[in-house]
Amino acid sequence: MCHILVCVKAVPDLNDVQIDDSGKFHRSTTNLQWNIADLSAVEAALSLKDIGGTVTVLTMGPAKLEAPLKELLARGADRAVLISDPALVGSDTYATAKVLATAVQKLGHFDLILCGNQSVDGETGQVPPMLAAALNMPCITNAEQLTLNANQICLERILEDGMAKLSVELPCVVSIRPYAYTLRLPGIFALRKAQKTPVHCFGIQDLGLTPDICGVFGSLTKVSAIEKQFHSRRNGPKETNPDTGCAQIIRYLQEVK
Amino acid sequence: MRSNIAVLCPFRLDGGLITKAVSLCQNTPLRVLVPHCDADAAMALGAKFIHTVDAVCLGVDEQQITQWLKEFVLREDINIILAPATVRMRCIISQLAFLLNAGLTADCIDVSVENETLIQIRPAFGSTQIATITSHSSIQIATVRPDIFPVIPRPCKDSIVIPETFLSEGGRIKQLSIQSFTEQFALTQAKIVIAGGLGIGSREGFDKLHRLASVLDASVAASRSAVDAGFAPYDCQVGITGKAVKPEVYLAFGISGAVQHLAGISGARKIIAVNKDKHAPIFDYADYAVVADWETVVDKLLEELS
Repeated sequence: MCHILVCVKAVPDLNDVQIDDSGKFHRSTTNLQWNIADLSAVEAALSLKDIGGTVTVLTMGPAKLEAPLKELLARGADRAVLISDPALVGSDTYATAKVLATAVQKLGHFDLILCGNQSVDGETGQVPPMLAAALNMPCITNAEQLTLNANQICLERILEDGMAKLSVELPCVVSIRPYAYTLRLPGIFALRKAQKTPVHCFGIQDLGLTPDICGVFGSLTKVSAIEKQFHSRRNGPKETNPDTGCAQIIRYLQEVK
Repeated sequence: MRSNIAVLCPFRLDGGLITKAVSLCQNTPLRVLVPHCDADAAMALGAKFIHTVDAVCLGVDEQQITQWLKEFVLREDINIILAPATVRMRCIISQLAFLLNAGLTADCIDVSVENETLIQIRPAFGSTQIATITSHSSIQIATVRPDIFPVIPRPCKDSIVIPETFLSEGGRIKQLSIQSFTEQFALTQAKIVIAGGLGIGSREGFDKLHRLASVLDASVAASRSAVDAGFAPYDCQVGITGKAVKPEVYLAFGISGAVQHLAGISGARKIIAVNKDKHAPIFDYADYAVVADWETVVDKLLEELS
């Protein structure tokens, strides 16, 4: 029996991010969706669970994530946990890892903690290894092809210039590459069951945390300025004749040394 | 408190990062941790205290490496740490930052020091924003995008080389095998990249792009929607959830130009876009645009170039 916890994050659709002129990002008005790599991690957990075990999904975010969490229950997760509290707003990766670690310890014993490798909004990839450090567990990032045998997990880790096959003892934290796994579809019975399964909601007090170690107060980094960066528009000429276009493309290619 | 800056690159020297760090140090000495074999290179770049380690001996148990680095940082009283943002160093440095209660900023594209504060610049929200981040912890850490700063030799006359030893104690992570690949690396280093989007329509369409790529000695890339559709493998995905490329010429076929994709190609010198939709957003970001069916253009190119 392998008890797996998957940490998931709701992120804005980056093609629909609403940012005002002062550079402030409006999380409340932007559509949220589960981070793509985190869904990969959920499927990794579900396929390991097929051999026997349980899957718990855990997220930290606004209260409106209850419904999206039920979707993950419908895909096969056994338990869904939402940590939501106004005091958590503005948490950096350090504060987030601390809160998640506290929640993990409260929820019981897990053999394996999976996360997505990095979120598409923050793009830091820091939370999984920080969570591992908080729980004193080993951590492997950028992984795929997980197989479980006895008290260890074997996996492939993609590096810049190669792929390492590793084994790591449980319990451990593993972050999964986006697209490594495709999340299964929900079954009709699972959908019905999920509607009846409650999402466990916790505020920081329920976790025994105080506001000074959460959110902005518990963070060590601060965004001191943010400015819009427009992908530089190059506005090159438009050619509609394919022959002329090809000739010009070849000229560009010939300039490459 | 005076800044005591250190560059940690125990697996592979990042010369540009050392050059950058030397410039941040001004009159204070720079401390670096590099593989034994890179001691001379670090000296030529101006590092004063050069701690060296056997990179192979470090092994794969990054929990142990983190512990070892933590002791190193505390022993040398380091308060600003820079490290290359490689897969392994990002994992190690995150654990290190947590254990040291240090603020950490990932994958910076520039750093500076003002009044002992590390000013960290990084793209945010799919490179639509540039954020300036500071930490208010006694130790401040940043990982920096690998190899983005120019390497400038500035020999330090009185460098001191300090060999360090790392003793592994039967860790919880073991390496079973390693396979190095040249192709993935090739995409991020390629001089010409041939990219396809959803408009390519099929795996067979991508086969055609591969034919063009082999004629041009180029690498093939794909947009996220093409990967989602199963036309191309994730390894060649370019954009926020994929790789960033910086070729001389980026040739985009059937790519509409979502923000997520544009974030991965801003480093290209010339962007050429071919799309039959004259309103495709990518045209605004292209140096040259051809409004035509991608296949017509690829066929013509194959004919002309073969």
